[in-house]
Amino acid sequence: MNAPLKALNEMQRLTSPFPESVAVKEWKASGGQVIGWFNPYVPEEIIHAAGMLPFEVTGDNEPVQMQAAEAYIYSNSCSKIRTCWQLQLDGKYGFLDGLVSSSMCDQDKRLYSLFEYYNKLPYMDMVYAPRKRDEEAVQLYLSDLQDFRDRFSLYQWHRFSDAKIAKSIEVYNRGRELMHELYELRKRDRPPVTGAEALEVSKAAVRMPRERFNELMEQLLAEIQSTGREIKKAKRLLVIGSDLHNANQMAALESLDAVVVVDEMDIGIRRAWGQVDTQLPPMEALARYYVLGRPVDKHNWVSDGRLEFIGELVEQYKVDGVVSQDVRFCTYNGWDKFDVKKQMQERGIPLLQIDLEYGHPAGAQMKIRVEAFLEMLQSAA
Amino acid sequence: MSSDKMLSVEDIRGTLKKMKEGVKKQPGLMKSTYRYLDAVSGYVERIATAHDEGKWVATHGTQQPLEILEAMDVRGVFNEFWGVVSDIARLESVPEAMSVSASLGTPGEVCSFFRNMDGLMHAGKWPKSDMFLYAASCCDNVKSFHTLGRRYGIPSFGLDRSFTPYTTHAMEFWKNEYKRLIAFLEEQTGKKMDYDRLKEVVAKSYRLTELHLEIDKLVANVPCPLSPECFSATLVAIRCWPGTQYGIDFLTEVRDELKERVDKGIGATKNERFRVLWSSFTPFFDPTLMGFMQEKYGAVSVADMLSTWRVDENVEANWMLDPDDPLGNLAYRTVLAPGNCQYSTGVDVATVLADKSRRFKVDAAIFQNNWGCKTGAGYGPVIKDELMRQAKVPTLTLHTDILDHTFISRADIESQMDSFFEMVESSEAYQERREVA
Repeated sequence: MNAPLKALNEMQRLTSPFPESVAVKEWKASGGQVIGWFNPYVPEEIIHAAGMLPFEVTGDNEPVQMQAAEAYIYSNSCSKIRTCWQLQLDGKYGFLDGLVSSSMCDQDKRLYSLFEYYNKLPYMDMVYAPRKRDEEAVQLYLSDLQDFRDRFSLYQWHRFSDAKIAKSIEVYNRGRELMHELYELRKRDRPPVTGAEALEVSKAAVRMPRERFNELMEQLLAEIQSTGREIKKAKRLLVIGSDLHNANQMAALESLDAVVVVDEMDIGIRRAWGQVDTQLPPMEALARYYVLGRPVDKHNWVSDGRLEFIGELVEQYKVDGVVSQDVRFCTYNGWDKFDVKKQMQERGIPLLQIDLEYGHPAGAQMKIRVEAFLEMLQSAA
Repeated sequence: MSSDKMLSVEDIRGTLKKMKEGVKKQPGLMKSTYRYLDAVSGYVERIATAHDEGKWVATHGTQQPLEILEAMDVRGVFNEFWGVVSDIARLESVPEAMSVSASLGTPGEVCSFFRNMDGLMHAGKWPKSDMFLYAASCCDNVKSFHTLGRRYGIPSFGLDRSFTPYTTHAMEFWKNEYKRLIAFLEEQTGKKMDYDRLKEVVAKSYRLTELHLEIDKLVANVPCPLSPECFSATLVAIRCWPGTQYGIDFLTEVRDELKERVDKGIGATKNERFRVLWSSFTPFFDPTLMGFMQEKYGAVSVADMLSTWRVDENVEANWMLDPDDPLGNLAYRTVLAPGNCQYSTGVDVATVLADKSRRFKVDAAIFQNNWGCKTGAGYGPVIKDELMRQAKVPTLTLHTDILDHTFISRADIESQMDSFFEMVESSEAYQERREVA
């Protein structure tokens, strides 16, 4: 039995209770503003450079009853969006001073509209999210980011400099570097952390001041180094599909004889991937990173690269099986499903596809399916 | 898995021809009904005969610059419209196609316009296509064009764009995407774009817009002169025949008949009790529902969201900024064109619809919450609340599937409409509107 990681405990203390946590309260108490964002095409660096705390609007480890939200957004929509809106209705996001989204997903756009119409915040904005990965997309995204920066400056009545953005890029690059290091350690035959723990780390990154997060990440890596921590499980899993913030769900997978060694989520490995080029002008560097610098995700129209990336992760992390956790009503996952299955079959990688509701705990039915999957992996070995 | 009920191009062709002949003998219909069915049938015919005539076929999604296709002899198959045509020809086709789609692992929660396409392609009943074209819009399902293109070895091209229109860089980007589309088409067809021809096509498309808006003004009259059998005439013209003389002749005929009916005071029904706005889709899954509503409740469909142009206060077509810049005009047209207003925030869409409600003197709105439409599921309540706030128009929300008639029964719809129209009639806003009328 491994001892709990002290640095992770501190991250969890600071980011609890969710969402208006110790870290948020401290930030607000010092007169700071908090800007919510809810998809990966909103560069946190720009919000950070403006001296505000970027905070990812999500659900967390507890399932949320969404009946009230469904009066505003019908049940044939993504349960992540309904969860977020329910939390807003419950007053949990009352600390937000602003909200920034992008056109990445129909449902994200509609969550933005709900805020805009029923709960307008002092600052609200929407930026373009590219569906293609090419130079033209970089240029359009850059122009839209410049517009966003202009509007945001107007909101503050203060133009934050390129130098400030460059400084923020350094801070976030350091965070990515440290998180990437943790992902590298998970390639070990006996990884030092569980998937559930790694997910908690990733969530903390977007819920507290990044400088403090980076300090704790350094402590965490040092702790792993000094304690020789190892997770001893028979099977290594890769989790792909929707962004899930319920670490208990992942812990349920790992309560069996398996460990999640890597994921393919926006909230996970993409957050730990690559570096923004510090040799370029900062805004251009951000545009290039956010359009081209991260692995292809499900929101890109051409998802061939995503399929390749999943295949590469399987090899690099010596994965025994892939679990695809797909939140129902996700159009993007829906259209990738056929090809994910086909590719895994061609590579001879066992795949378990699970449709679920965001935030819900792993029920008995899911556990039975995962158990059967692991048995199948065992017998195949 | 059975594919007996799924319709092939030939099946649809044959059925539409029979229907066209059938309406000649039916009394009480608008004269333009035959022409309307001819436009639907002719669209299918053009697709069916394209390859024999040395043309190309492109299956495409919404927000395509069809004028570019027309100028390059590429005939479009609008995937959404193909589902609608299937429902017109035989209601049982779509559910079967969607069963096939489900058997491939495509989730039942994605839009049935696309599941229908998925199933028909797998069964070999989709029109044979040389390429797939798609564009950023209010619908994430367009991703399927690349997915299916890869699956069936069909080249595809997608047009991306900013979410914020009108900025200089957004419009330039959109125009540049059209240039990239032309390069793609030139590569696929081996044919160069004739820009003089494109200018002519764009000019015709502009004329079609003007006709559409003239028709809108006529339809806004009380009583509404447009009958259900021709309700989708403008939509068919704009979505299937832009940039063609056929489209202009078709809408001219519809416009003239409506003008005549307005002059003579002929309404869709003798007893127009309610004027209805379809604030999302019209009921494609049940082609006779509008007629039923008219007969039972005196509820006349006067407007819908899908055929909405974003217009200025004079309700004029104003996208032709420079006749010598056809791509720039088309870029601007797309921002204003029907089907595009949803590519915006919910509040903005609601404002466009509230404005339309006032112009068309709407009493009640029906919002179809289409099972596979995440956009609709997300902004339905905003539209409902804003229509009430701005225009005092109440909304009935029907939970449906846009194409699948088995999703909700007519009896269920009828019972919801019974109480809805009763409520509308007793409302203060309705009574005030009637007094003014």
